[in-house]
Amino acid sequence: MAFKPFKITPSARRLLELWPLFPAAVYLIGFLIVVVSYLFALSFSFADEHGVTIFPSFESLRAVFAAPEFNSAFVNTIAFVAVGTPLELIVGLALALLVYRSFHLRNIVRSIFIIPLAIPALVTATMLFILFDFPGGHINHLLMGKYCFLPAVLHNPINWRGVKLLALGIALAGKVWRDMPISMLILLAGLNAIDPELFDAAKTMGAGLRQRLWRIVVPLILPSISTVVLLRSLEMWKEFIFPFILAGQNNLLGTLIEILYNNWGNAGEAAVVSLTLVVCIVVTALVYLVFIEFVKKLTARR
Amino acid sequence: MKTRLPPMSSAQRTIWLIGIAGVLFFILAPLYLLVKYSISDSASINTGGAPVPFWPYHPTLINYWYLFTDSQFYKVICSSLFIALGTVVVSMMLGIPAAYVLGRYEVPGRKTLMLGLISVRLFPDISSVVPVTEFFIRFDAQNTYWGIVLAHTLLALPYVIFIGIGSFESIPRDLEQQARVMGASRFQIFRRILLPLSVPGLVAIAIYTFLLSWDEFVFAYFLLGLGKISTLTLYLKQKMTYAPPQNLLATISVCLSLPVILFAMLMQKYMTAGITQGSVK
Repeated sequence: MAFKPFKITPSARRLLELWPLFPAAVYLIGFLIVVVSYLFALSFSFADEHGVTIFPSFESLRAVFAAPEFNSAFVNTIAFVAVGTPLELIVGLALALLVYRSFHLRNIVRSIFIIPLAIPALVTATMLFILFDFPGGHINHLLMGKYCFLPAVLHNPINWRGVKLLALGIALAGKVWRDMPISMLILLAGLNAIDPELFDAAKTMGAGLRQRLWRIVVPLILPSISTVVLLRSLEMWKEFIFPFILAGQNNLLGTLIEILYNNWGNAGEAAVVSLTLVVCIVVTALVYLVFIEFVKKLTARR
Repeated sequence: MKTRLPPMSSAQRTIWLIGIAGVLFFILAPLYLLVKYSISDSASINTGGAPVPFWPYHPTLINYWYLFTDSQFYKVICSSLFIALGTVVVSMMLGIPAAYVLGRYEVPGRKTLMLGLISVRLFPDISSVVPVTEFFIRFDAQNTYWGIVLAHTLLALPYVIFIGIGSFESIPRDLEQQARVMGASRFQIFRRILLPLSVPGLVAIAIYTFLLSWDEFVFAYFLLGLGKISTLTLYLKQKMTYAPPQNLLATISVCLSLPVILFAMLMQKYMTAGITQGSVK
C-alpha cells in the first residue's frame, strides 16, 4: 500500500497556530458548561426519602418558592439593591466631586479615598462586627454619650445585629464603604472628560452652584452614572460576605444559598436559589438597558 | 489631569474642606480602630461599662505574639501562600499564552470567544459555587489543595486573559515583524521580545491574581469548609464562630490586609504601568 503523506490544509495550519489559546478556552468554557448544566440538573432533581434522585422534578422549585425563608430573603435582597444602588451612586458622586478640583495633596487624598477597595471585604465586615458590638462596641458607647464630646442619644445599648433593619443596614453600610471608590473612579473619569471652560461660561452667565451641578455636571456624566447604576445594582444582587457576617438571621438570596447548602445539605434547593439569583441579575440588566435605550431615544427626539 | 475650575467662594471652600475632612475621617477612623483593637489589652476591651478607650490602656503586641506562636496560624499562612502562588502559576500558564494569541493574532469568531471566556465570571460567585463544589465532590477535589487552586484559577483566569491582551496589544507590531524577517521563530519572538516588554503588565496580573486568591472567601468556604486545609480568611471566620476576643479578630484582620496594602503600595509602579498598557490600544 502506497504511503500517503499527511497534508495540513492552510485553514488547519491557521487553527494549529492558535493552539496556545486552547487550554484556557477549554478550561473556562468547560467550567461554564459545568456551572450551567449542574445548576439546571440540581434545580430540577429531587432526592426522595429513600435517597433515590428523581430527574426531572419540580419538587425543589416548589419547595423553595413556597418557603417563607425564600420570600423573606427575596424581599430583603430587593430592598438591599433598591437602597444600596442609589446610595453608592450618591456617595461615589460626592467623593468624585470632592477630589475633582485640583488642590495640594490631591493625589494623596485620592489614594486615601481608594483605600477601602484594598481592604478585603471579610476584613471590612469584621471591622464593623467589632465596632457595632453589643453591648460594648464603640458605636453603642458613642450613642450612649460615654465619650465627653458627644451627648447621649440612647439610654440602652442596641443589639445592632439582632434587629432586622439595623443588621441589614450595617451590612449595607459595609458594602457601600468598601465599594465607594469604584463608583468614585468611574464618575471621576466622567467628570474629567468635561471641558472646565463650560463651568466658566455657565458661571459668567450667572448660573449658581446647584444649577451648574444639575444642568452641566449631571447631564454630561450621565453615561458614567448609568454605568455605576448598572454595575452597582448587579453587585448588590450578588452580595454575600457582608450579610453573611453582619446580618445574622436576616438572609439575602446569597446567604440563603449558603444556609441551604452548608447547613441543610440541600444542594437542589440551593441550586434553585442560585438560578433565581442569576435570573434576577439578567432581568435587572436587561430592564436597565432597555430603560437606558428608551431614555436615549426620548432625549434624542427632544 | 489638572482641572481649571472657577474659584470657590469662602463658604463653598469651607463646605468642601469639611467634606474632604469628613470622608477622610470615615475612611481612616475604622481602620485606625481596627489597628487599635489589634494592640489592645483585654482590659481595654472588657471595660466593665466604662467607655471603650480610643487608645488602649496598655498597648501590647501580645495578640500578634499569640498568633505568631500558634502553630495553626503558621499552617494557615503557609496554606494561603501555597494556594495563592499555585493560583498565580496555573492562571499565568493558562492565561498568558491565550492572551498572547488573542492580542497578536487574527482569531476567527474573536468576539464570541471572548464572551465565552468571560461568561463564567458573569455568574455571581455565590451562584456558581454550588455547582462547582458539587462537581469537585464528584472528583474528590473537595478539601484538596489542587481543588481550591483550580477554583481560584477559574476566578482569576478571565482577568489574566483580559489584562494580558491589553499588555500584548500595546507592544508595536513592527518589532515582531522585524524579528520574523530576521528569522526568529514564533516561540523566540514570544520569549525574547514580547515577554520582556510586557513584564510590567505581567507583574500587575500576577499581583492581582495573588491578592484575589489571598483574600478569597466564598469558594474557600464551600470547598474547604472549616476542615483540614484552611486559608487565612477561613481562619478568621472560624475564630468568629466561637465568641471571639475582639483584639484577636482585629489582629488576624490586620495580618490578612497587610500583604494586600503592602503589595499595592510597593508594586504601584508596575500596577500603573500594567493598567496603562492594558488601556492603550
